[in-house]
Amino acid sequence: MSITLLLSDIYWVFWREIKKFAQQKARLLMVVVQPLVWLVLMGNAMSGLTRNPAAAQMLGTGNYLDFMTPGIMIMTALFGGVFGGITIVWDRRTGYLNKMLAAPIYRAAIPLGKLMSIGLQTMLQALIIVIIALFLGVHFKTGFPGVIALLFIAGMFGIIMGGISLSLSSRIKSMETLMAISNFLTMPLMFTSNAMFPTNAMPTWLKDIALANPVSYAVHAMRTISTQGWIWTEIWPAMAALTVIMMLIVALAIRLFSRSVN
Amino acid sequence: MKTIIEAQGLTKVYPGGIVAVDNVSFSVNEGEIFGFLGPNGAGKSTTIAMLTTLISPTKGTATINGIDITKHAYQARLELGFVSQDLAVEDALSGNDNLRLQAGFYHIPRAEALVRIAEVLKMVDLTARAKDKAETYSGGMRKRLDIACGLIHRPRILFLDEPTLGLDIQTRREIWKYINTLREEIKMTIFLTTHYMDEADSLCDRVAIIDRGVIKTLDTPMALKDALKNEIEQPTLDDVFLHHTGKEMREDYSTKEAAFKSRMIMRRARG
Repeated sequence: MSITLLLSDIYWVFWREIKKFAQQKARLLMVVVQPLVWLVLMGNAMSGLTRNPAAAQMLGTGNYLDFMTPGIMIMTALFGGVFGGITIVWDRRTGYLNKMLAAPIYRAAIPLGKLMSIGLQTMLQALIIVIIALFLGVHFKTGFPGVIALLFIAGMFGIIMGGISLSLSSRIKSMETLMAISNFLTMPLMFTSNAMFPTNAMPTWLKDIALANPVSYAVHAMRTISTQGWIWTEIWPAMAALTVIMMLIVALAIRLFSRSVN
Repeated sequence: MKTIIEAQGLTKVYPGGIVAVDNVSFSVNEGEIFGFLGPNGAGKSTTIAMLTTLISPTKGTATINGIDITKHAYQARLELGFVSQDLAVEDALSGNDNLRLQAGFYHIPRAEALVRIAEVLKMVDLTARAKDKAETYSGGMRKRLDIACGLIHRPRILFLDEPTLGLDIQTRREIWKYINTLREEIKMTIFLTTHYMDEADSLCDRVAIIDRGVIKTLDTPMALKDALKNEIEQPTLDDVFLHHTGKEMREDYSTKEAAFKSRMIMRRARG
């Protein structure tokens, strides 16, 4: 196995995905519009909460938008990543997958290249959210280095969701089923996490679920960075857990994909 | 004459016990156009999928230019080009970018890739449209681009699975012209499957007729027709085909997936 060839294969799979992404004007527009809608509508509706001192304390910040911005970043990563597997189902249907497989490409390069493009797209979306948030007066406590960290965590989370989706797509060959399962996954993951609501405001049973939910790890680390500062005792455990989960899921996606094409 | 494909006892049994290809042996000579004919579900696509290393045989093996496809799949891939029946070009990318991508998959260095892209574009007459997105191409142009993709690494042998499926008669003849050019100008070996007997008759040096996973007959189109002279006056390859495969209708695509796929192919082919 040659590392250079593997990297080259990953690069070209990645290149194809990014090039396609850049060609789709409507998709690029959605990347901007979707978080804008969430931040403006949801943010306005909920900001009344922070006028209540008890609620403000639960949120840990005087501004609901400060609280919500990391949540929106992760939500966008979740929705973007979870449909990553659809590209494989599509490639299988159009015959492009066979075209790649008939070429001397390392099998692992196909899921890896696709995951890298999902990671980059997620980071780009997160960056756009940051820019919109800045216009809406959101304050990032740790400044520019903090924003870079936020982008990285969002990218990692996008890769995790993409990996789950790619793993599913190795088994599920129909677009409709994969869409249905992805939708089924996203909503509960989102609403049993701390992305939109502080865990302190949740009933105990929901709070337990929220604390175990990987979405919460990502949001917690990001929220600490953006609203509290570099509190490493809060950030490291979440980052370590996310890294381990990401590595396991990427390995699983590669394994299931390689098996499905043999 | 040198043998370039040698299949020995190729067998594919799918889960559930369906024998798609049953102990098939044949050889293809260097520089010839070899036609693989058969009704729907006869085992044509399965055979091509095994020869192009997309699926592994249950039993038996084949060599491509002397390289065993089961033991050295990676090396075998360098020797073969594969153009599927799916018109698998990337619509969102230009003709040029489709070829750049393909050159990347075959690890062709950048400078060399540019030379080869220009070369294959010229070969299929797409130079003038190379910068346009593939989605603006007609069905025939897409097919030509797909064939150009299959040629970028200068394979010894090109597999064309149903190269004219869903194309009109003018476009089909145009594709035949390009296939003939490949044989005459670069002496490429071509392995093609088709449903159209006139296509096989005018293009192929030799044809094999496969049905229910077994090769029924293999010879030049002329010899196959001559063999029927006692039974039919002026036999065509259609008569030969029906003689060897029977006249009853075949189970057509029955699954939802297959039906969707064939619809997609037709839609993309029409452009």
